Amino acid sequence: MTDRQATLECRAVTKTYVSTDPPAEVLRGIDLTVREGEFIAVMGASGSGKSTLLYNISGMDRPSGGQVLLEGSELTGLSDDEMSRLRLTRMGFVFQQAHFLGNLTVRDNVLLPALKAAPRDKPGAIARVEALLERFGIAHVAGHGITQVSGGQLQRASLCRALASEPAIVFADEPTGALNSSMSAEVMDALTQVHRDGSTLVMVTHDPSCAARADRVVYLRDGLLVDSAELGTWTADTAAQREDRLIGWLRQQGF
Amino acid sequence: MNIRSSVYLRYVANDLRANKTVTTALLLVVTLSAFLMGTGALVMERTLGSVDQLFDEAKPPHFLQMHSGEYDVAALEEFAAGQPGIESWFIEDMLGFDGAAIGWERPSTGESGDFADSLIDNLFVTQNTEFDYLVEESGAIPRPAPGEIYVPVGYQQRYELRVGDELVVGTDAGTEHYVVQGFVRDGQMASSLSPAIRFLISEPDFAALRQAGGGASEIIVEYRMTDLALVGDLQRAYDADAAVPKNGPTVTYALARVFNAFSDGLAAMALMLVSLLLIAIALLSVRFVIRGTLEDEVREIGTMKAIGLPSHEISRLYLLRYGAMTVIGCLIGAGAAIAAAHLLTRSVQVNFAPAGFGALSALVLLAAVGLVAGIVLLTCWRVLRSVKKVEVVNALVHGSLLGERQSARRAKRQARRLQRTSVAGRFGTLNSRLAVADLRAESRQWLLIPVVYFLATVLITLPMSLLSTFQDPGFVTHMGSPEADVRADVQFADDVDAAGADLLAAMTEDHRLTDVQAYANVLYETTGVDGPETLRIAVGDHSAGSAEFLDGRSPGEQEIALSALNADKLGVATGDELTVRNQDGELTLTVSGIYQDITSGGYTAKMPGRVTAGAASYVIFANTTDGTDPEAVASEYNATFPDATMWPMQEYLEQLLSSLTDAFRSAAVLSLIFGVAVALLITCLFLRWRLSRDRPVLGALSAIGFSLRELAGQVQGKTVVTATAGIGLGVVFAATAGEWFVGSLIATLPFGLVSLTLLPNPWIAYLAYPLLLLATSYVGAVLLSRSLRRANTSDWLRS
Ligand SMILES: Nc1ncnc2c1ncn2[C@@H]1O[C@H](COP(=O)(O)OP(=O)(O)O)[C@@H](O)[C@H]1O
Ligand SMILES: [Mg+2]
Repeated sequence: MTDRQATLECRAVTKTYVSTDPPAEVLRGIDLTVREGEFIAVMGASGSGKSTLLYNISGMDRPSGGQVLLEGSELTGLSDDEMSRLRLTRMGFVFQQAHFLGNLTVRDNVLLPALKAAPRDKPGAIARVEALLERFGIAHVAGHGITQVSGGQLQRASLCRALASEPAIVFADEPTGALNSSMSAEVMDALTQVHRDGSTLVMVTHDPSCAARADRVVYLRDGLLVDSAELGTWTADTAAQREDRLIGWLRQQGF
Repeated sequence: MNIRSSVYLRYVANDLRANKTVTTALLLVVTLSAFLMGTGALVMERTLGSVDQLFDEAKPPHFLQMHSGEYDVAALEEFAAGQPGIESWFIEDMLGFDGAAIGWERPSTGESGDFADSLIDNLFVTQNTEFDYLVEESGAIPRPAPGEIYVPVGYQQRYELRVGDELVVGTDAGTEHYVVQGFVRDGQMASSLSPAIRFLISEPDFAALRQAGGGASEIIVEYRMTDLALVGDLQRAYDADAAVPKNGPTVTYALARVFNAFSDGLAAMALMLVSLLLIAIALLSVRFVIRGTLEDEVREIGTMKAIGLPSHEISRLYLLRYGAMTVIGCLIGAGAAIAAAHLLTRSVQVNFAPAGFGALSALVLLAAVGLVAGIVLLTCWRVLRSVKKVEVVNALVHGSLLGERQSARRAKRQARRLQRTSVAGRFGTLNSRLAVADLRAESRQWLLIPVVYFLATVLITLPMSLLSTFQDPGFVTHMGSPEADVRADVQFADDVDAAGADLLAAMTEDHRLTDVQAYANVLYETTGVDGPETLRIAVGDHSAGSAEFLDGRSPGEQEIALSALNADKLGVATGDELTVRNQDGELTLTVSGIYQDITSGGYTAKMPGRVTAGAASYVIFANTTDGTDPEAVASEYNATFPDATMWPMQEYLEQLLSSLTDAFRSAAVLSLIFGVAVALLITCLFLRWRLSRDRPVLGALSAIGFSLRELAGQVQGKTVVTATAGIGLGVVFAATAGEWFVGSLIATLPFGLVSLTLLPNPWIAYLAYPLLLLATSYVGAVLLSRSLRRANTSDWLRS
């Protein structure tokens, strides 16, 4: 496992918000390596800086210090345009809320990054998106408006949107945070499927049963990664067991 | 104050503070509307007040008849004896001098000058004893001693004269010297549109001045009635009496009052019209802001309803919030209006009388500003009625203002639209398709921008078009004159006919001048609707047909053309016959056409022919050859021919219309500033609100790879496109219906303009101004979308 290439590497990443008084040191030196095909869950108490970490290592926000390397190249020095290009082509995002455009259908929302990434290959983009929608079981509602589908369907569509431009890594910030448990399982199954197909995933979550799907769980406290747990590959039969083990570990962390 | 209202007030104050941008923008728009409306109303009131104050002091005649030349005193006495309504009457003797014949000197400094550049007739008179006084600023009625003169305040300002300066009048027998003893206001001739102005000298000086020669003898027959209502009867009787003198204009008290107030109240009217457009913008913004606020605070409204607060209480909370803002805006606007009205009526206060700011002024201001406040509050109240329709569950769970049925309807509409929208469309870039999709989905919100820009376009172009109309060289055709480079008048001369002939001969000989056209103004008698009338006919070659005919054409042999006001007064139309008489006999003429004219009060007529004797005055027009400076020609002729005055046409026009163009210029400048400022303000207000609502979606778009530049570009594109639509419609509207409306409005005013076609400067009205507004929309969009760049993008996703 250790011989796989690092997709994302963070070195001593810090983030300080100066807009508050005193300045809030939310990230205080994060080192994290995400290897290709790995599924990492980030856990921690509410307000510990999980989302901040996710946004600062994914080129959405700029860290106050440290380095972030995506597939070996520096992110921190890039211009907004270059960074946007990277987010478009090499990264995918899933948020707690889909934040879809209300004036577009589910299909068009998913199509957006695909079209943007390949403006000259419209049929190719459409075909790719149709395949994704089919694969995640939402093709039949793809023509609907976003208020006409369920939360679980919306989050799966959101995952489709993240995958539409075939990214190197997918970031998810509490993708199940706003869902009930059955919808939550729906979305986690989809994520697990994505991971099995070889995608690299970094997911922030609050929910141990979601985190149990990951290969590795890291724990964030007061802006520092204090511990990590290797869980190995998830299978449906070992799910309950893993979850118990994880909860035990989390207790030690003071979760 | 009870506890509940103090809680309310605290709530209102907190809220206004929390939404600073929105509050400020709204406050400004309301303030500007109230300011303009208040200023307009107050200027009107103050002008009328000043006029009335002066009328109180100066006691102008209730009816007057001007006349120049011989007249029959006995006939006047007989007439007066037969009119029981007359309280008193007299004949005022006047001596008219050309401006070039009057100079001024300041012995203390050696400065000097003359009044040659003034178009106004300079009349020398003595103080009247019964009424029609020339009064000092203090209200005192001065009686100059020999050697002293009182100068009209209009000239005091224009030539910056001071007490102690000397006035030198050139007569046939040398010069007469007077020392300026003070300045006087004139109830009869105070209007900035008045064609004459009166100087006050002592009786012995007046006799000496008459003796010296060089001045044109004129009289005003003046009447004061026991009752103003009798003026009409007197006027009819006077016109019907063939023996009394009447070759000049007549003026009634009421007309003088209106004319005085009107000439200076025009700016006020323009301001009020402009403020109407601003109010429309204010109402739109208020609607928009309240709707937006209700949507933003729908959960709070739901909560208030859930805990049992009745709808009208909730509405009242909001009404209080916007009511407070409206009242504050109107108060500030009213305060500023007092200051502005004071500035704008400064010349009125000088020319007429300093009227105090009294209870009536306060009342008028209150009414005007109250009207604005009332309209705004009514709109608030109407928009706030939707609070009643909010359903608790929809508000709390779905964050929707709408009820079950409305939501269903909206969903259906949205579904229909989705069928027609596709980001994979064939046209434009992905960014532009997204922008279009947003515009279509949120068209009701975005509508604000084109409507505001439409109004702003109309607001800034119409006053400007009006101004350029009056400054256009082609405007002379509205004045019954040909378009020419120079104009010469022979009026104040002992022998007008000889002076006119000399001048014409010289001008015809002059190789620098072409198209020399001479017109003799000859006085005729005719019979109008109300009896006999005096008709001043310009006799000459009218075949060039330069006046703008409303009907018919220029006069041929045995024909006459009449100005619109004359045709009206005489009750004739094109094709009718008109009989005119003078000492040479009687002529029966056919009316060939009707034109509009604003000279001589709008009462003129044209007849072909050539008259060299017996004319009241001569006017000669000419063009200059290329490379000749009309100004140089004019000053050369003015030096050679002291009995004539020659003007470069452009300057003549500017002076004649200066009071109007000044009023329109202030209106144009004010509306330009306000129009652009308000457009910018509303753009910022709207985008601010729009961006804050779109934050999560912008965050998501940024995450999936749209750069901040692209997102800002979408906002700018949407703003500029919608603004362009509004500006385009505004230009079309202003060029058609707007110009028609303003033209018709001006035509209803007592100028002699019966129909007015605006002559906008196309570069300004159709290019520069639209581009300026377009730039404004772009600047607003850039300003607001700059805030996109500063943020941590992820902040947009956390809310
Ligand atoms: N833009 C910001 N300015 C100031 N402080 C912020 C900002 N964004 C987040 N924070 C602070 O950073 C801390 C971590 O936030 P976050 O990363 O959202 O935590 P988590 O996702 O673990 O709940 C919180 O205390 C939050 O208040
Ligand atoms: Mg978080």
